[in-house]
Amino acid sequence: MVLTADVHLPEESELTVPELQLSSPALFAGSFHLGKYCEQANNEFMLCRLEEGDPRKCLKEGKAVTACTMEFFRKVKQSCLQEFNQYANCIDKSSGDYSLKQCRTTQGVFDKCVLDKMNIERPGFGYFCEARVHDTKRPKPLPEPKAVYPDATPALPENAEKKPARFGSRFYWMTE
Amino acid sequence: MEACQVARKQDLPPPGGYKPIPYKRVPAKTLFSGYTMFAGYFGITAFAMYLYSLNYKQILRDQIEMRSAKMAIYPMLLAERDRAYLKQLRKNRDAEAELMKDVPGWEVGTYYGEKVYKLLPPDTLVEPIFHEYYAHSRSWEWFQRAYLKLRS
Repeated sequence: MVLTADVHLPEESELTVPELQLSSPALFAGSFHLGKYCEQANNEFMLCRLEEGDPRKCLKEGKAVTACTMEFFRKVKQSCLQEFNQYANCIDKSSGDYSLKQCRTTQGVFDKCVLDKMNIERPGFGYFCEARVHDTKRPKPLPEPKAVYPDATPALPENAEKKPARFGSRFYWMTE
Repeated sequence: MEACQVARKQDLPPPGGYKPIPYKRVPAKTLFSGYTMFAGYFGITAFAMYLYSLNYKQILRDQIEMRSAKMAIYPMLLAERDRAYLKQLRKNRDAEAELMKDVPGWEVGTYYGEKVYKLLPPDTLVEPIFHEYYAHSRSWEWFQRAYLKLRS
């Protein structure tokens, strides 16, 4: 494999956190409110992930994302379990691709419950497709420094004599 | 001659003569004039295009909504995936060290000390290719992942 002993890979204990045990319909059912509830953590993680381009450097942010998601679904379980299950069941069984458009009635019930009990309003249908600006405290990674090659051909000195070409220009048809 | 005596009836027009041949045109009933038909065509097409545009916009909205839902859960899925991936990479490296421990001169991640990417800084995480990632797994698991598309 390409990974040598020099590459730092985190221990398994560092990577083990309680993971979400939910299926796709449940995730889709909670997606909009989840995205709104954990917007800060999600943006922080995605920015880190895209800027650094290395999963090892964003483990802390990733754990924050998972913790926030767990917290959200725990809250939903406490307050709106019945409505949530109904909505997830509808999403699961109404189409082959978990499409949300088949389940507007149950969605309305769930939205109302979440708004009343958890005070999260459902964002508009394209909210998470919009470009967003995120302000973070994490320092920006430095750009890759310019490569220095020790065996590069040395350039001519500034005051070197530059004679006219002995056999004329190679581009005579363009320059004459 | 006996045969010539039989009275023969000649084929003649019916009494009163033949009916006149109906050669006059019977034109079809014109429900619409040409201009009305053109106008109707454009009218129906315009109305259908309006209905189509409504449907089109609705489908676009639904697609954007689905994409939005996926993007909302993506960070969580990615965080989970990253942890599982790094765990597996460590397992792979340990498995390689265990497998090759009796081979003299073998260094993990290199070919007898020769690196794959010699110009990269030593702590760069190069994501292994699919076959390397599944190198220490059972062949059935490799097959399942490689031909996932065929089964789904």
